[in-house]
Amino acid sequence: MTKHNCIVVNLDKCLGCYGCEVACKMENDVALGEHWSKVILRGPLGEYPNMVKYPLPTMCQQCENSPCVHVCPTGASYRDPDTGIVLIDKEKCIGCKYCMMACPYGVRDWNVATKTVEKCTLCGHLTAQGELPACVKSCAGGARFYGDLDDPDSDVSKELAKYAASDIHTLPDVGNAPATKYIMTSIHGAWKEGE
Amino acid sequence: MAIQWSLVLFTAIAGAGAWLFACVGASEFKTFGTKAAWPSSIVALVLLIIGGFASLSHLSHPERVFGALGHPTSGIFTEALLLGLTVLCVIVYMVLLKRETGEKARKVLAVAGIVLTVVFTFACGSSYMMASRATWNSIALPLGYLGTAAASGCSLYLLMCAIGKDDDAMGLAGLAAAGAGAAATVLSLVFGCTSGAAFGSDAPVFWVVVVVCGGAVPAVCGWLARKGGDKTLAYAAIACAGGLAGSIAFRAVMWMVGTAVMNCFGATL
Repeated sequence: MTKHNCIVVNLDKCLGCYGCEVACKMENDVALGEHWSKVILRGPLGEYPNMVKYPLPTMCQQCENSPCVHVCPTGASYRDPDTGIVLIDKEKCIGCKYCMMACPYGVRDWNVATKTVEKCTLCGHLTAQGELPACVKSCAGGARFYGDLDDPDSDVSKELAKYAASDIHTLPDVGNAPATKYIMTSIHGAWKEGE
Repeated sequence: MAIQWSLVLFTAIAGAGAWLFACVGASEFKTFGTKAAWPSSIVALVLLIIGGFASLSHLSHPERVFGALGHPTSGIFTEALLLGLTVLCVIVYMVLLKRETGEKARKVLAVAGIVLTVVFTFACGSSYMMASRATWNSIALPLGYLGTAAASGCSLYLLMCAIGKDDDAMGLAGLAAAGAGAAATVLSLVFGCTSGAAFGSDAPVFWVVVVVCGGAVPAVCGWLARKGGDKTLAYAAIACAGGLAGSIAFRAVMWMVGTAVMNCFGATL
């Protein structure tokens, strides 16, 4: 059965330190100016005195109905049947950039050197050996979790189980069903994405 | 994303070539327009091939393009297939035309060419209908592609008739350019209003180049040129220049207004 591996970010714990972004670049040798993982500082949003500001770490959202896979003309963008992770076979990429157009979140990047599209792989080379993705390992606030959403014993399922459904969010869904979940409770702010 | 000029030129040039051949095909069912058929077919073929190469120039690894054969549902495959079939149609038509034979077969090819042209120019736009790009995700986009390609191709046919002094065909060619120009105006306006291109910071380009040059100019010049006369060539040249400029600008404007979903919520990824 296909797994639903993804990242869960607990924004109540996120420091906004950009450590995940740096760790990703170091681990995956992401070129200068390119990002597979990017922290966006959101806000201030809302009206005084009810204003919020929070860091929003973004990466490939591992959409269940991934538009990048649907539009790819050569099958270079595909879902790994074992891990369920959306990946790119750079040997098949023709550089048409359709997947970059189709991605609602702009989390795919263009590698100038190889002239192919790249993105977060959930550090498949590490997770295949039982390790955690670099961004999860290095998270100073312990805010990032990795695992299979369908496995109740996975880190992501256990973290999500601690919170009410109203505290669990996704980036705006335009039919692509992003798997990545963000936790944010009313104690620390209000989720503003998609409003 | 920045304007992808190779894709802009691909659909604008190939679209004009396809509609030029569609006009030639339409003339098969009339007793006139024979003088313009051969040179117009040559120009159409050249434009289709140039458009195809423009498309390939967009790819960073064109040597891997045959991998698309394994995924026949993608927009790129559909466009390439329709372009290839249209080119094949033009070549076979030209062979029959040169041999002055196969009248029925030419009519069949003419109909096939017209159908392929409509489907191809529509498909070029429908490939961009993506939920991730709210401003593109409307039927108005492929219809705009269709309309602006028709205006440029029909105006080009008018010019070919004017250059070849094919006076008998001027009436129909003028009406075709006028009709296509009017259609381009309406369809461009629909896209402009639904996408916001008609109101935002890109509005001057949209109104001046897309609507006026690409729609109104071919419509007016085609109407004026339909009766022939001394100024026919000038009207046809202006209509053609306006149609092509409008077609290119329409596609460029599409990129200018094509923001991703997250950008609509204030985030710049």
